[in-house]
Amino acid sequence: MAQEARAEFSELLAARGVSRRDFLKYCGSVAALLGMSEMYAPQIASAIESGSKLQPALWLAHGLCTGCTESMAQVNTPDVPTIVLDLLSVNYWETVMAAAGTQAEENIKATVDKGGFVLIVEGSVMEGFNGNALRIGGRPGVEELKEVAPKAAAIIAVGSCAVDGGWVAGNPNPAGATGVSAWAAKNNIKVPVINLPTCPVNPEWVVAILVDVLLAGELADGSILKKLDAQGRPSLIFGQTIHDNCPRRGHFENGEFVVYGAADQAEKEAKGWCLYQMGCKGPQTYTNCPLVRWNKAVNWCVESGSPCIGCGTADALKGGTGNWVDAGTPFLGRAANVRLPGVGGVQPSTIGAVVGGVAAAGLVVHGVASVAKGRVKGVPTETEKAYDMKKKGGDK
Amino acid sequence: MARAVIDPVTRIEGHLRVEVEVDNGVVKDAWVSGGLYRGMETVLLDRQPTDAFYIAQRICGVCPISHGHASTMGSEAALGIKIPNNARIIRNIIEGAETLHSHILWFYTLTALDYVDVVSALSANIADTYALAASAGTSTADFGAIQKRLKGFVDNGQLSIFTNGYWGHPAMKLPPELNLIAVAHYLEALEMQAEAAQIIAVMGGKFPHFMTSLPGGTVWIPTEEKLDEIYFRWQNVRNWIANTMIPDTLAIAPFYLDAAGYGKGVGNHMAWGVFDDKSMDPLKRTLPRGMLMGGLDLTQPDPAKIKEYIDHSWYSSGDGLNPAQGETKAAFDAYSTDAKYSWVKAPRYDEKPMEVGPLSRMLVAYVSGNAGVKSLVDSTLAVLSKAAGTTLPATVLESLLGRVAARNLEAMYVADEMGKWIVELVGAVKGGDSSYFVEPAVDAGAGAGLWEAPRGALGHWVSVKGGKIDRYQVVTPSTWDCSPRDAKGVRGPMEEALVGAPIADVTKPLEALRIVHSFDP
Repeated sequence: MAQEARAEFSELLAARGVSRRDFLKYCGSVAALLGMSEMYAPQIASAIESGSKLQPALWLAHGLCTGCTESMAQVNTPDVPTIVLDLLSVNYWETVMAAAGTQAEENIKATVDKGGFVLIVEGSVMEGFNGNALRIGGRPGVEELKEVAPKAAAIIAVGSCAVDGGWVAGNPNPAGATGVSAWAAKNNIKVPVINLPTCPVNPEWVVAILVDVLLAGELADGSILKKLDAQGRPSLIFGQTIHDNCPRRGHFENGEFVVYGAADQAEKEAKGWCLYQMGCKGPQTYTNCPLVRWNKAVNWCVESGSPCIGCGTADALKGGTGNWVDAGTPFLGRAANVRLPGVGGVQPSTIGAVVGGVAAAGLVVHGVASVAKGRVKGVPTETEKAYDMKKKGGDK
Repeated sequence: MARAVIDPVTRIEGHLRVEVEVDNGVVKDAWVSGGLYRGMETVLLDRQPTDAFYIAQRICGVCPISHGHASTMGSEAALGIKIPNNARIIRNIIEGAETLHSHILWFYTLTALDYVDVVSALSANIADTYALAASAGTSTADFGAIQKRLKGFVDNGQLSIFTNGYWGHPAMKLPPELNLIAVAHYLEALEMQAEAAQIIAVMGGKFPHFMTSLPGGTVWIPTEEKLDEIYFRWQNVRNWIANTMIPDTLAIAPFYLDAAGYGKGVGNHMAWGVFDDKSMDPLKRTLPRGMLMGGLDLTQPDPAKIKEYIDHSWYSSGDGLNPAQGETKAAFDAYSTDAKYSWVKAPRYDEKPMEVGPLSRMLVAYVSGNAGVKSLVDSTLAVLSKAAGTTLPATVLESLLGRVAARNLEAMYVADEMGKWIVELVGAVKGGDSSYFVEPAVDAGAGAGLWEAPRGALGHWVSVKGGKIDRYQVVTPSTWDCSPRDAKGVRGPMEEALVGAPIADVTKPLEALRIVHSFDP
């Protein structure tokens, strides 16, 4: 690490009113986000200090609802000004940038010409109507992507729409939406794509990945980038199911379930009973939501009383293709095709038969057994559920 | 004549292009083009009403609460569900929190950079900045440290999101000290919008996109601890709006009084109304339902009189249909301001374009005799009249300046009302009412959720057969405001508002950008 670079960076921080202590504290929180011990903080600090210039980044808006940008505005650590003023030079970010029109497009060109930038894509890649389902700057949005993506150092696809098309690709996919990885492969673009699903993206993950991109090569053991799974997702974030870490898991084991519309719904919800009977997709959704949580760790979906709708689960159910909406609806129905680790896709009602109660103990047997023992009154069994759904035209 | 184009329009939700014809520094004609088609209405078909709640809110990442509520209300109207009183109060609080979040984010993060020169703040005198903050009655910050941080940032030569902004533009009018105050509050606003969003997170799991207002009521059950978490956050946000956002608005407005003279729009306003009272009667909503057709005479809108036209939109069928029978068949051919130029349809009420949004809601509430709104509007008019040296009537609100001010005044009004709803909820819980959710008794029917997003009147028309959605149509606030021309060539509200605007520099049409942003598209 060059000493003068370090001194220059310290001056830069000092000029922005950031003390050395604040900076190290920040590096510690980054370490925690990366899934590493805080003892890595000095190493992260020295890695960041090696460059006095801010990392250039472009945040492109494609087939989006702006929810992922909104989600970034809810980030916990570091705060938004730190990200856009002290960590990165985000030269293009439609929702927050000062420039518009011609001036905004100039920013893209200047950054692409220099190279070495991180590209963040929010929203689906819109291929419908020859790419005119999305028009930016008087031409199809995919044209912008074709110019920018091949020149990027790395691409981060934020949110399920950028990962696999998300809800926009939901049957019948009327606007021809797809994900960045699939689009890049089709266009022979070799830049690595890091996929961060869920709808919207969890901002804490984006920060962790951005820092990891900045540190690429510095932290061989801790690097998220070196631990991507087959779908290009960081395993540290997407390696375990929601069910694995759910605070309501104990009630699942006890066969204690909330049922909407039941006379005791409020009482049981207040006690935090399990939402599995309401169709919770926690068992097949691979994210660390229960640990990282949302909105500065204030809450997360299941704690609010709703089942997980699996907004980042498409690949787990459809072998790497599809989108979470087609995979998960009807959200309040029983999961159509639960994939258990090491077992493959199975129908919940047949889990017991398939795995002989090993992994199955975690999913269904407790619920059924609880009804049999009279511990749960009025909760439909798997067979009844399946019948109801068929009758009402439930699962696809 | 010169054509000025803004594409992409930045600091909005979604994708928008604006073309203006400028003659002698004044806009003579305008075209507004929506750039994105995703097909939500089609994706929802054949799914269940509960699915629609979760999916339809993803139309908009800034106002998912309103879309979620309108979807749920549409399904409830279709299936004849009357929600429990607790669910009504809870939805009001969540909706109110989104309104505060959205209005704070809009004023400081989205539109402020049209009026505030960030680079000019570098030359502010710190002592004078404190004096100005004191005389304007707005909150202070460590102005010296903020200026130093800004200076280090600018000196480094990498301006990040501020690169290529309209710094030094002749239409930027604020003194350096006021620019510095605004920059300080720009940074603070990021914290405050997040705090408002956390109220939603407590009650809805997360924001954006929430989990709990399912058709039938709510699945969120309040506890004492959760009510505490809501109350203290509400108080912080409410006080910040009162002590920072409103004084900032009143301090900045006198420098832009010319904006009271243009940006009027079509002069027709519509509000479906928002925040239900115990009666669940839309006419008795806290911000009431109503309509003004070219004046201040209040009438009530009839949803049957709405038709959507596609003469200038990229669709192939469904021209002139009411949303209850509406169709969405996309068909792109080419972009041409003489023919088809937008993915947005052209909705008309009784064949007329309608403006929707906080200005429309404030005018409807004002004319309806809402005491809180009346006092806020009148006191603001008094401040502006003093600055202008002449008495300004309420009709002056129909302008760029009025549209900006109305949104901020609404934030104050909703913040105060929200406090009452939290108290109401505490009372209901203490009173032992444990009903939050009811199941539908039928699986077929048709209805509409007619509600308000922060940016204006929002409708979800839902038809259900055999428990599944067989027709779904949405008319968003931006469908109304960003509407292209109709069959008769009549411009949409934003297009009309652009006509007559001054443009100092056609290569940097900042004034046009201000008008576009004033609708919060």
